[in-house]
Amino acid sequence: MTDTLSYPDVTQWAVPFFILAILGEFAWIAIKGRGGRYETRDAVTSLIMGAGSVASGIVLGFLAWGFFKWLWVLTPLDLGTSLAAIIICFVLDDLRYYWVHRFGHRIRWVWASHVNHHSSQHYNLTTALRQTWTGTFSLVMLIRAPLVLIGFHPALVLFVSGINLIYQFWIHTEAIGKMPRWFEAVMNTPSHHRVHHGRNARYLDCNYAGVFIIWDKMFGTFVPEQDSEAVDYGLVHNLGSFNPLRVAFHEWVGIWKDASQSGLTLRQRLAYMVAPPGYSHDGSRDTSQTLKEKHLARHPEDAGTPGFN
Amino acid sequence: MPLEILLALVIGGIGVVTLLLHVTGRSERADLSDDTAGLAWLRQFPEDDIHQVLISQDGHAALLRTSQGMGLVWAFGADTVARPLADCTLKNTATGLRVSFHEFAAPTTRLILTETERANWRLLMKPA
Repeated sequence: MTDTLSYPDVTQWAVPFFILAILGEFAWIAIKGRGGRYETRDAVTSLIMGAGSVASGIVLGFLAWGFFKWLWVLTPLDLGTSLAAIIICFVLDDLRYYWVHRFGHRIRWVWASHVNHHSSQHYNLTTALRQTWTGTFSLVMLIRAPLVLIGFHPALVLFVSGINLIYQFWIHTEAIGKMPRWFEAVMNTPSHHRVHHGRNARYLDCNYAGVFIIWDKMFGTFVPEQDSEAVDYGLVHNLGSFNPLRVAFHEWVGIWKDASQSGLTLRQRLAYMVAPPGYSHDGSRDTSQTLKEKHLARHPEDAGTPGFN
Repeated sequence: MPLEILLALVIGGIGVVTLLLHVTGRSERADLSDDTAGLAWLRQFPEDDIHQVLISQDGHAALLRTSQGMGLVWAFGADTVARPLADCTLKNTATGLRVSFHEFAAPTTRLILTETERANWRLLMKPA
């Protein structure tokens, strides 16, 4: 069994590339006069969220790493570090990402960590860096456990996850329209991921893919970008603050306020923590499902079209 | 990557991007008109009817009378945020009004209003 194995921290090494790509995208937009928008405070907030996410990983990463190393001691399996093992691990990790991401939109406890990534009303390369500070608390690390238990070394699992994250950087742009058809069919692209960032009723809760869009097609969550409906970026209830602390923690505060209300049953308190975002015990709020239903009530002609199937 | 190099890259990168965006005019706030303020409200509350829109003289805020009551749309960078005014607190400032929403994700906004505007908006926002 491989006990000591190390790979470079690819997300840290990618930082210079991230900065250059952001400057390149901005220059492209400024010169061409199209392909996206930048706003100072929005971009700065996104960049600070990215820096905070790296810092959070440095400070709290030992918890996940300790958990994976514990699993690695438990498992009798070792699939090694061959190129084939790396490729298979990458593909399975992307499947893992799909489900983590889907849970991130359907379970409020996980959404509380992920919501900040969707909190910008812009969609440019800085949005890609608007990452969570509280991923450790969402406990989604548990979903990586099977990869380690079937014999992929924890260092390899984290390495391919880093590559997955770097892949997703370039798809946060409006500067690229559509890629060639074969690429759009298999891979996650700017077009597919723009849809994922939409707050339009049509585009809620879809396109969870990281690298391969095939997972959404397999599991019935794929919605193609519609020429007839531009993506409206941001949250259903947009934030009114650029303060990174508020961006990072607002949904956790919301969970606390909701679950600690007086007069609730235990089941209702738990539902405020783990039911889909928008749950309320008195039905006063909207989930993505009720938002879609209300949209269809106003626009019955949209029934049966993508996003309203 | 050595931590000191990572820190220098991150701080330098954020600094360069901030400066570049600011000097190229990307810090401008959204200007509102009756139409854009109405659309901004409907973007947040699509089921509402809008009965009246009042734009502040500086163009960065709008007071709306809607089917759910009074509401405020304000410039949030180049974009907008909309909130009902049912549960807000108002406080005069030297340049207008501070509106507190008692909400962690949208705690306050400062409106730039003339003296006459402020008196009028206060009455409309919090009718006796």
